Amino acid sequence: MRDVYIIGTGIHPWLIRSEQVFTNFGTVAIDNAMKDAGIEWKQIQAIMAGIFIWGGNAGHLSGQYQESVFGETGVPVINIYNACATGTAALQMAYNSVASGQTDTALAYGADVSPKGFFSAKTDNAVQDRDVIRWKMVGMPNPVFWALECRKRMAKYGTTEKDLALVKVVMSEYGSKNPDAVFKKVYTVEEVLASAYVVDPLRLYMICPVSTGAAAAIVTADKKLISKADKPVKINAVTMGSAMYGDPTIRIGVVSCPAVPEAPLLSESYSASHQAYAKAGIGPEDVDYFELPDNSSWHYLVYLECCGFCKEGEADKMLRDGETRIDGRVPTNLSGGFSSHGEAVAAQAIWQVIECANQLRGRCGVRQVKNPKVAMAQTYGLMGNSGTTIISI
Amino acid sequence: MGNVSNMVARIPNLVDWSTGEVRLMSAKCNSCGTHFFPREHYQHRPGCSREGVENVLLPNKGKLASYVIMHYTPPPPFKFEKSIVPYGIGLVEFENEKIQVAGIITDTDLKSIKLGMKMETVTLMMFTNDEKQEVVTWAFRAVK
Repeated sequence: MRDVYIIGTGIHPWLIRSEQVFTNFGTVAIDNAMKDAGIEWKQIQAIMAGIFIWGGNAGHLSGQYQESVFGETGVPVINIYNACATGTAALQMAYNSVASGQTDTALAYGADVSPKGFFSAKTDNAVQDRDVIRWKMVGMPNPVFWALECRKRMAKYGTTEKDLALVKVVMSEYGSKNPDAVFKKVYTVEEVLASAYVVDPLRLYMICPVSTGAAAAIVTADKKLISKADKPVKINAVTMGSAMYGDPTIRIGVVSCPAVPEAPLLSESYSASHQAYAKAGIGPEDVDYFELPDNSSWHYLVYLECCGFCKEGEADKMLRDGETRIDGRVPTNLSGGFSSHGEAVAAQAIWQVIECANQLRGRCGVRQVKNPKVAMAQTYGLMGNSGTTIISI
Repeated sequence: MGNVSNMVARIPNLVDWSTGEVRLMSAKCNSCGTHFFPREHYQHRPGCSREGVENVLLPNKGKLASYVIMHYTPPPPFKFEKSIVPYGIGLVEFENEKIQVAGIITDTDLKSIKLGMKMETVTLMMFTNDEKQEVVTWAFRAVK
């Protein structure tokens, strides 16, 4: 396998909601990535597209519709869906294509326009789509699953409402400094605790909203392109994980879970991150910058543990002690996270990698960590799928 | 529980009341011992032969392993004749079967809910359909 580098990245900044066509967002992100990489459209030899699941036929064949905007070249186009980890799957496909020598330069991207409010069922057929059961029989939007796990955590480890609020406080502080963030207001603990319950124990400002945006990355093994790129970053590992038998997590889309744990909580993310450590030959102690999926305050805490940055039950202390701040042991989500941007499902995993790359490339201005060498992006993922990317400079 | 003969589950093969007690319709793998809910949500232990899966009913009673209070009405296809918001959703553990199942908490003071409390499975009327049948789901309530 050859060494593969990210030479260009681009986004269409996140928006709360837009009536624009998703390919228009994709076009902006890909254009920006090509400019950053210093390449032209015809140099892209494969397109790995994150599927836009609310986009019907056009969304499911996102890559084909996107290719035609720039001009069809006959290159392989693969459309990929892995929920929140969709972008990592696209990046892994691009990485594999280049690392194996099938192509020299490939594009991974995702573009998404989320529907308003809670995500809901995608079919009415409970026989084929068991996801329908949670909607019709219990009324379980995604935050219900997070709140059920959060309640367990509060009972087991003593996580307080104040800890959950502090996550938003920290995220909002960094989000306010990110020119591309959607939500730029800085919150206090009191303000977060005064926001309405959505799903007790989670309040409005403890849950990320849905959003819209696009993100693209160009990867290559072409030495000429690498040498002329502005601070190319090496991909040390890009891995996908699925759930493990006996994972006690109540998983989004399912109405039951094992009562006796035989695997770690969020085992799909445990699997993806630990595969990535093994592949990159490093451990969490070597990570200088971390992007985690803060879909809710619970996620922020549990992902620090899941990925090995502290022991189970210790993330609250890590947060309180400032270890995840810009000058802390593991600077985390200095982007402001999903909390300051919202979820744009097909795009967000690549956006997380771009935030990591921006830190390594010294592009983060007042949010810049001092000389980071290794960064890691971790996704969540509905129904037991997850992705991890480790990059270095 | 309403008029049993006039009740229909909104989705079949999930909840049974034919024995007089309301019980969730599970399946058990006799090879790896895992219980599934719903029945088709197979989650075998890796390497299991997957032989001898039989339909079973979960016990009527279990204990509360987690709970939340919903303060918003979920989007369709969630449907109730009368608003039930705010409502509890509980994760009830069936200890011998080593499975936890989520369901609406009904007929229980939300302020009295505590982890570990004993819960029983009941039916809960959601709406009346065009055939004048009571369309129900399963739910849990604190054992009195």
